[in-house]
Amino acid sequence: MTPDQIEKYVDAASAALELPVSAAHRPGVLENFTRLAQLAALVNEFPLTPEDEPAPLWKPGV
Amino acid sequence: MKSMDALGIAAAIGAGRISAVEAAEAALKTIDALDGKIHAFTAVTRERALAEARAIDNARAAGHPLPPLAGVPYAAKNLFDIESLTTVAGSKINRDLPPAKEDSALVARMSGAGAVLQGALNMDEYAFGFTTENAHYGTARNPHDLTRVAGGSSGGSGAAVAAGMVPLTLGTDTNGSIRVPSSLCGIFGIKPTYGRLSRRGSYPFTCSLDHVGPFARSAADLAAVYDALQGQDTRDYAQARRAMEPTQQLLKEGLGNLRVAVASGYFRENAGPQALAAVAAAAKALNVSREIILPEAQRARAAAFVITASEGSNLHLADLRSRPDDFDPAIRDRFLANALTPVQWYVQAQRFRLWFYHAVMRAFADTDVIIAPATPVAATPVGADTFELNGKQLPARPSMGILTQPLSFIGLPIVAVPVHGLGPLPIGLQVIAKPWREADALRVAAALELAGVASAPVAQL
Repeated sequence: MTPDQIEKYVDAASAALELPVSAAHRPGVLENFTRLAQLAALVNEFPLTPEDEPAPLWKPGV
Repeated sequence: MKSMDALGIAAAIGAGRISAVEAAEAALKTIDALDGKIHAFTAVTRERALAEARAIDNARAAGHPLPPLAGVPYAAKNLFDIESLTTVAGSKINRDLPPAKEDSALVARMSGAGAVLQGALNMDEYAFGFTTENAHYGTARNPHDLTRVAGGSSGGSGAAVAAGMVPLTLGTDTNGSIRVPSSLCGIFGIKPTYGRLSRRGSYPFTCSLDHVGPFARSAADLAAVYDALQGQDTRDYAQARRAMEPTQQLLKEGLGNLRVAVASGYFRENAGPQALAAVAAAAKALNVSREIILPEAQRARAAAFVITASEGSNLHLADLRSRPDDFDPAIRDRFLANALTPVQWYVQAQRFRLWFYHAVMRAFADTDVIIAPATPVAATPVGADTFELNGKQLPARPSMGILTQPLSFIGLPIVAVPVHGLGPLPIGLQVIAKPWREADALRVAAALELAGVASAPVAQL
């Protein structure tokens, strides 16, 4: 994500979640979201197959 | 008393050389004398300690057999429920909650084993950090150098043991929060297999990754307390339905036929010179030359980061909306950013988790135990925003766990083993075993101790 995309996403997502981000917190939030996006990109670019299911498993009856 | 280990104290009480009340009073005196400098404790449970100790002394006087940790002082990270105390989990916000109605599963197990609770311990707010620089409760200081951090998030648990306040503590490890303070404070700790010990009554951080476990100053103590903490708890959904698998008697088997390798690749590239020297010392002592690569460890760390971001912030969303300024400023902006994690990232990270688990199990096929550094560097100065690793500046708070995070991601059992004498401060190793094979890791830890590589001396204060 570009810095511009991150700003737009953070503003839109915080509005959608009704999670106010004050002007005082915004620079820190953008910095932290940027780091998170960089790390997520490492995961998202990795090729997985349909057989690679999510790790959590529901265990009825347990 | 201060340098006695847990089994030594239990033996002395069993033999009548000291009473449990004397042991409790000695621990309380040490805590009173040192904690103004260390800030390991956030509450001291003096009355409970003396009452539990008197019960042990009365049992002995009545001729009853004593449980395995009878009279041994210990303390618990302040996210474990302690009956009649509010479980603050390092936060200001949780002070509004009512006191716990009953002990958490692990505190109850410790009581059942005869151990004597001395108090609750400092931590990063909501377990989100690796330094225990807590805006509400102060910074847990490293007993080996008070200008440096004790690590986190179980920093009080590491510091209390290293300072000789208590020989045993309880902590939690989501991304490294037992192994990092063990490394920085130079003590032993174990993060068992995910689902091994009951988490009931421990304030959660990231359900998919949360583990609970103990700290100690010797491999034998660690095995003894780990054994005492095992047992089924039908009220913990995440606990695996497995029989107890005691380890204490297996330590004397030594290394035996265990196949040991050293982790290379990511675990070498992200380690500083002292961490590499510790690995080399262990490899030499165990006569290990084989190296192993755990594939895609960097991506595993990233995926653990994404899962932590999503689940950790979800838990606090209501408070992030209504009272963000009551969070520790050190983590508030991270929590706010994390609450915005797209769900596609989260699901992808959970899918990658299963891929990585299978890849690691393939790499592990002809090996029983892998040795890796626990932290890239030794304890950093209090207040440091960054530390240098091989010429690069890394953000201190999230980066101290870069070597622990890929492994808790898939729930492997790991013993943190302390190595002193390679620099002014100690540093730790991770001794990693296959799922449910805690005993293998503890045997290697004991072998390293016997070889003189691992030790956990009480800090000189």
